[in-house]
Amino acid sequence: MNSLDEYDVIVIGAGHAGCEAAHASSRIGLETCLITIHLETIAQMSCNPAIGGLAKGHLVREIDALGGLMGLIGDETGIQFRLLNRSRGGAVQAPRAQSDKALYRLTMKSWLEKTPRLSLFQGIVTKILTKNHQAVGVMTLEGNRIMGKAVILTPGTFLNGLIHIGLQSYAAGRANEPSALELSQNLKTLGLKTFRLKTGTPMRLHSQTIDWQRFIPQPGDNKPVSFSFRTKKKLENKILCHIGHTTPQTHKIILKSLDMSPLYSGKITGIGIRYCPSIEDKVVKFPHHHRHQFFLEPEGVETEEVYVNGLSTSLPFPVQKAILRSIPGLDQAKILRPAYGIEYDAVLPTQLQATLETRQISNLYLAGQINGTSGYEEAAAQGLMAGINVSLKLKNKKPFILGRNEAYIGVLIDDLITKGVEEPYRLFTSRAEYRLHLRIDNADKRLTQYGYELGLIQQDDYDSFLRKQDKINKTMVFLEKGTVKTQAGGKISFKDYLKKPEVRFKNVLEYRQFDDSLTEEEIRHIESEVKYEGYLKRQEIEIARIAKMDRKRIPKGVDFQKIPGLTREVREKLEKSCPRTIGEAKKIPGVTPAAIVNLHVYLKILGRKNVPRGTFRET
Amino acid sequence: MAEDTIIAISTPLGYGGLGIVRLSGTKALPVARKIFKPRKQKIKIQPRHPLLGKMYHFEQKKYFEEAYLTYFPQPHTYTREDVVEISCHGSPVILEEIVRLGIKAGARLAHPGEFTLRAFLSGRIDILQAEAVNDLIQASSLQQAQISFHQLKGSLSSRIMNLRKSIIHILSQIEASIEFPDENLQISKNQILNTLEKTIKGLKQLLDSYDLGKALREGLSLAITGRPNVGKSTLFNALLQTERAIVTPYPGTTRDYLQESLKINNSLFTLIDMAGLSAPSHPVEREGIKRVKKLIAEADGVLLMFDLSRKETSEDIKLLDKLADKRLLILFNKMDLPQKMNTQAIRKRGKNNPSLAISALKGENLDKLRDMIHDRFVPIQDQQEEVILHLRQKLLLEEILVCLEQSCRLLEEGYPEDLAAEELHKTNPLIGQLTGEIQVDDIIKDIFSRFCVGK
Repeated sequence: MNSLDEYDVIVIGAGHAGCEAAHASSRIGLETCLITIHLETIAQMSCNPAIGGLAKGHLVREIDALGGLMGLIGDETGIQFRLLNRSRGGAVQAPRAQSDKALYRLTMKSWLEKTPRLSLFQGIVTKILTKNHQAVGVMTLEGNRIMGKAVILTPGTFLNGLIHIGLQSYAAGRANEPSALELSQNLKTLGLKTFRLKTGTPMRLHSQTIDWQRFIPQPGDNKPVSFSFRTKKKLENKILCHIGHTTPQTHKIILKSLDMSPLYSGKITGIGIRYCPSIEDKVVKFPHHHRHQFFLEPEGVETEEVYVNGLSTSLPFPVQKAILRSIPGLDQAKILRPAYGIEYDAVLPTQLQATLETRQISNLYLAGQINGTSGYEEAAAQGLMAGINVSLKLKNKKPFILGRNEAYIGVLIDDLITKGVEEPYRLFTSRAEYRLHLRIDNADKRLTQYGYELGLIQQDDYDSFLRKQDKINKTMVFLEKGTVKTQAGGKISFKDYLKKPEVRFKNVLEYRQFDDSLTEEEIRHIESEVKYEGYLKRQEIEIARIAKMDRKRIPKGVDFQKIPGLTREVREKLEKSCPRTIGEAKKIPGVTPAAIVNLHVYLKILGRKNVPRGTFRET
Repeated sequence: MAEDTIIAISTPLGYGGLGIVRLSGTKALPVARKIFKPRKQKIKIQPRHPLLGKMYHFEQKKYFEEAYLTYFPQPHTYTREDVVEISCHGSPVILEEIVRLGIKAGARLAHPGEFTLRAFLSGRIDILQAEAVNDLIQASSLQQAQISFHQLKGSLSSRIMNLRKSIIHILSQIEASIEFPDENLQISKNQILNTLEKTIKGLKQLLDSYDLGKALREGLSLAITGRPNVGKSTLFNALLQTERAIVTPYPGTTRDYLQESLKINNSLFTLIDMAGLSAPSHPVEREGIKRVKKLIAEADGVLLMFDLSRKETSEDIKLLDKLADKRLLILFNKMDLPQKMNTQAIRKRGKNNPSLAISALKGENLDKLRDMIHDRFVPIQDQQEEVILHLRQKLLLEEILVCLEQSCRLLEEGYPEDLAAEELHKTNPLIGQLTGEIQVDDIIKDIFSRFCVGK
């Protein structure tokens, strides 16, 4: 514990981003202070009581492979586990688990409390202190100053948060939690451009007032798959979710009340998330659907609260009650927490570098929903990367950047800082060009080495990882050496046999035993590696080609004004950023592929020995 | 870029007796040897000596055309690389086939201006004006930019746009079923296969109709249109200097459309005279109207005629508006009569389309009209570039077809959907060169507008 209020890293906000950031920087060796408005709400899940899913589950695996916490705590506190797309290709399978919300945050709090070099502190930050455009600390509401060498800001939806229920609204960062208004204004003074976003959350019902017989149960998997590569305990399903549907009566009620909806009446100005539509959105956009699906998800084992996934709304409370009454099975249901919509300030992520450091203020990093993303997993991934990069910077080491071909984390951050955000960003597997390569089964193969080198993966976990790789390699040799007779009379290797769509590893074992106690996960990994091999090889060639072009150096002193075929805007951008390679030039927002080709050709011409005089007209 | 061996047709097509296909690059000679067999088998290819032989289809293993091959070893060539020229009969079909074989044998279709670009890059030619260099670099960046094919055939652009829409549709079906397995979207594999098969069928039809020789033989299509009795058939005859169309003073006499080829200032056009466009009362007319609409949609350009001896009517305005997105030449006919039409207003409404007053009957201003037709409708690139663009498009479409068929096959054989999606994603850079890349956001937007998803 540090008695001086002077730290290496200060993390503002203990949501999913903040927790990963603070844990990472302290593990790497820096004195970290994690400040939160309420210690009780550390790692609070504001919305659905679940982690994972398509693309999100991929992120959790990657966070885990790097040594982050979300996967481990997800497994520890999970109460129902499902592997999505189990019957499909390995690249689109993803783990998902319902979490015990209370247990999740208590477990996270407990782990953070025990993390060396990490100090928790309850306080409301009102200002980020800077000196010469560098972050040097924070100021709290009481007037305390906490100094630090770097600051990571992860305020979630709290910046200038405004809750809407019907046409009533009140300032809040989350239900009945204070909004961070001063901090939001402080950011604007520091020169950061902000914009307004909106999201929403459905109501919570009392389990005993729901007629469960009316709904279709959705059980967990028989053989639960864990998030974390490091989880050793056996996972259990402790609860059931249920599926229900709205009725035409429900839709009538909603349509009648649209003028009381803050979104439809224009009261909310923030841009909403298309990927998490409210029930009003669904009814308005798909009027021909006579029913919409929702899921009843228990929020924990010890609680009676049930989350109604799919009925997010900001309609007034009486209308919410009417909606429930129109659904058989929920007609007697009591609302414990009303549904609401929330508007908040976010920062345009194009102002960030790939390390998540802001361009305007050095040593100030932003992570999580503040960058315009939605989802716990997207936030946690950013928090982890910010925590890692702050530490590397303070230690004067090279930054840690993941490419789009290495991890979904790379896709996420690259999308944010290059394309920016117009509505809350949610990760989809289709956003990844190299989806076949970024699977859940090879996340450790891709990232655990990094995690170990950074100091986030412990030695014994690393040793386990190496043993696993060894096992896999031996199995691959087995597959390459063994042969199967084909119908045509020829021979193919076990590996080529396994490439057939209908063949599984166990079919190969029918030909020859291979006893190396491979787990189901390891078998799935091997199957994926083999079945996607052709495509993966081709993608690797493509990746190498692009990497080669990206590495092409732009010599110092190149006069961008002389390059023909570029717009004035692109020339200005190039001059301002002074990229050293084509790869860097590509990352500048607004520099088009056509401009890159022009640049490339120009560099080739420059490379010639004799450029005829007058070739390039002076402008 | 400079690592590939490039191939292209070097001569204007259609009229000459001779056509030349040129290769440049390190593989020029090996590629040429694969597709050309000299008369005497074991003869040695001497530099700069034309060698008689036959073009050889190495896949079908048959010979098909007599040709001369000349080999120019580097560095004393136009591009300073190895250059091979194959001269043969100037038939577009033959030349195109030679280029395709060359591509199959390892060359790549040259971008427009690429031979010149290589010449410049190797210091072979001196370019003094920056504009020229700019054009070269722009030409090379065509790989990334969209190809403007409105200059070639008007109908193709809409069919290629439809292809793009279909691919987005298929992708959104597959991606939605992958991304939202819990949400009961009821997208079956059969549905996806259905859409795929329909798209493949449409693309095959498009390719079949895509005939370079045909396009060049027929030239650009120009539709003459306007209200009844403005003088369309008179103009038609005047330009052709024949009496082919039936011309009477009563409206609606041209019952059908007439088509005729003519050369205007050395460019080939197909002139189409349409039935007067007004509400049909006769069933024959109604059919004609449908065909007229189709012809106009597919025409490369339209000569929109007005009778300036009468006041403009709302029908005139309507016509002008309907044709707003076509390449127009506005003609005010009957300039031999006193003017009653407000030509200024019509011109304004017709925005950036040029206009001209003529008298088809008296032959006034017709030479000027021929010049204007040429300037307005003939593409800026010379025919060689046009040919390259056309062939490039065809090759792109063929590659897209291969991806679609492969995707179909994967689904049918039980491979996971993400592999089928992978094949479809391969079409992206190809489509990118035709109409613009399909962005991930396009697919995601399509998913969310089509399916009610998202918890």
